[in-house]
Amino acid sequence: MSKRWIPALLAAAFWLAPAAHAEEADLEEGRVVAFTCLGCHGIPFHTNVFPTFHVPRIKGQTEGYIRASLKAYRDGTRRHSTMQAQAHTLSDEDIRNVAAWFAAQGRDR
Amino acid sequence: MSPYQILKLACAAALLLGFSLQAVAGNPARGQEISVTCHACHGEDGNLALDEDYPIIAGQHFTYLVHALRAYRDGERDHAIMSSFARDLSDQDIRDLAAWYSRQRGPLGP
Repeated sequence: MSKRWIPALLAAAFWLAPAAHAEEADLEEGRVVAFTCLGCHGIPFHTNVFPTFHVPRIKGQTEGYIRASLKAYRDGTRRHSTMQAQAHTLSDEDIRNVAAWFAAQGRDR
Repeated sequence: MSPYQILKLACAAALLLGFSLQAVAGNPARGQEISVTCHACHGEDGNLALDEDYPIIAGQHFTYLVHALRAYRDGERDHAIMSSFARDLSDQDIRDLAAWYSRQRGPLGP
């Protein structure tokens, strides 16, 4: 291969690299991760103990909001004992997948 | 006490109970009035999410919306925009806003 292809190959590599990084969420993986969440978020009108309020509805929530919330719980910038404990077990990939799965479960408007 | 007096007392009691229940549950009409500040990001009916990280609030549980707004107001939860908007809300404002948005239809549920 002649050297004059090198710049073109480099350009192609740079062009493809971001696409490879913007990983697609895996809905099937997300569904598996979500099993744990449904213990509280899957029961209509389920309330937590203290302070007492209904566990929020998250099916149909925006993907970005679920991702941001889980990361905030994991980083400790948002506080809730159960959610912090749960979020600690999740990788970035888990968060991406589970957020995509919940977002896709919304009711048609 | 005559039956008429008992009836009057019962009516007064029912009225009082009605008012106090509304105070706890929030007034959606007043909530809609004071929700103007929320519209740019959340939409009038709570189905807009202006930024990809913003939530849909239409049809969210009343008690959860109350909890979230109080947490922003009281500094337990922090968000540049929400913390400043929630700072001046009274408990009644919060209940009214939550009553309005929890009653809207959207992808979250009823």
